[in-house]
Amino acid sequence: MKLTLLSRSGREVAEFDIADDATVDDLQAQIQRLSKEKKLKGIKTDLYPARQRLSIPAVEEKAKPVVLTVGKALSAFGLKTGDKLTLKDLGTQIGYQTVFFWEYFGPMVIFPMFLVFRKQIYGADFEPSETQLLATAYWMFHYFKRIVETYTVHSFSHATMPIFNLFRNSGYYWGFAAMVAYFICHPFYTSPPLERVYAGLAAALLMQVCNLTTHINLASLRAPGMKGYQIPRGFGFNFITCANYTFEIYGWFCFNIATQSVMGVVFMCCGAGQMVIWAGQKHARLRKLFDGKDGKEKYPRRFVILPPFI
Amino acid sequence: MGKMVNAYIVAYNSLQSVLWAISFALIVNELLGSSYKTVNQNVGPVLRTAQVLSVLETAHAALGLVRSSVGTNLLQWVARTHVLVMVVYYIPEVQEHVAVTVMYTAWALAEIVRYPWYACSTAGVCPDWLTWLRYTAFIPLYPVGTLGEIVLVYLALPIVKERSLYSFTMPNLFNFGFDYYTFLIGALCIYPFGWWSLYSYMLKSRNRKYGQKKQE
Repeated sequence: MKLTLLSRSGREVAEFDIADDATVDDLQAQIQRLSKEKKLKGIKTDLYPARQRLSIPAVEEKAKPVVLTVGKALSAFGLKTGDKLTLKDLGTQIGYQTVFFWEYFGPMVIFPMFLVFRKQIYGADFEPSETQLLATAYWMFHYFKRIVETYTVHSFSHATMPIFNLFRNSGYYWGFAAMVAYFICHPFYTSPPLERVYAGLAAALLMQVCNLTTHINLASLRAPGMKGYQIPRGFGFNFITCANYTFEIYGWFCFNIATQSVMGVVFMCCGAGQMVIWAGQKHARLRKLFDGKDGKEKYPRRFVILPPFI
Repeated sequence: MGKMVNAYIVAYNSLQSVLWAISFALIVNELLGSSYKTVNQNVGPVLRTAQVLSVLETAHAALGLVRSSVGTNLLQWVARTHVLVMVVYYIPEVQEHVAVTVMYTAWALAEIVRYPWYACSTAGVCPDWLTWLRYTAFIPLYPVGTLGEIVLVYLALPIVKERSLYSFTMPNLFNFGFDYYTFLIGALCIYPFGWWSLYSYMLKSRNRKYGQKKQE
């Protein structure tokens, strides 16, 4: 069949032939080949498949364009000769695991640096207190856990993301690590009573274990090769849609109880704010998908993220 | 509902137009009468009212009454109000500097174009020359205003240091500290970037409005 590629502003980028039984993957490979041969008007880079977003433009005013998903045949989208497709260049892509590694490796290393280079940073040498050492150890453990999870537990529904996200996310995590560490490792840091420090950090550790459990649960939600959304069940999920976030936020809450710093609380609030938004979206999506109609399951009544409030 | 919102937006922008027009008239009055040294003393109250009140624009954006970004609005409001209140109002030593007059004049001139334009275009009765002014006046006024802000923050530096103004030192139970002097230096470093991102955005929207006609 003959297809026409359009830019997002509707300019024609290329016109080419492709086999009638081709898949979206074949189409993307062909587009990459054309980009390498400089046969795509206005495109000078190697447009590898992860950089391409292909969609069928909406015919009616309010309709949404249909995005072509990899692994499916072109015929599954009803494409026929003479049809037009919109091509969006998503920009340089980078692997999810790479992004996660760098955004978590930073905080793990930055926090202890404030103790190691305390003389240079604070201009005074001092013996770090037990609370400072414990808080640093907990912080490092937290991000070490995240790195381990990235490579052993998490499964990603997308392989890559735009490279800008690496800088944005790293800026967030590295920046907060430095700001929280600055105050907790400060020579004038005032520790709460030690019993509270022990209890708070122990509780925070327990939350980390619970969080890990939910991550393992989420990763096993889909059998190999299975696609689409599933209703999460089991530890935590029977009451809360995003129990993984719940334990994460509770964990930082316990950390703040133990270490008592304004910057730690700010960090917790920023993270919690973002997670509440994500959880709200996921909750709405699951409720819409599992509406109890046409033999579909009805999504059970659950908290979104932070019982007993939302 | 839509009519009520429109009426409110027109009313708000009209009020701001009046406040800034009064500010500008007072500046001219000072310059004609005595000297620029008394500008802050006599223009300050009205101008501060108008500027502080403009926090409502962030609320308008947040409530969806107007189509503009909440973040950009808030950032601009914080940056200007910070210089106006924390620096000029609370540090008497900088109040008589000529930079105050320059900054106030640039702000006032920009606002007596911008607010009437908002009011008129919301009401649907905007003359072309006002639209042209709205997309042109900022070109000289915005850099001058920002330069005034930068100069005033710079002038405040030694005074802030000497008095440890607005500083909060450790140890305390919040395990938090704030050094306003360091904050100001950081702000001075960020200013050019923030300024350029906004200025280039405005230039771009000007090009969208007036640049394409020539090509077509």
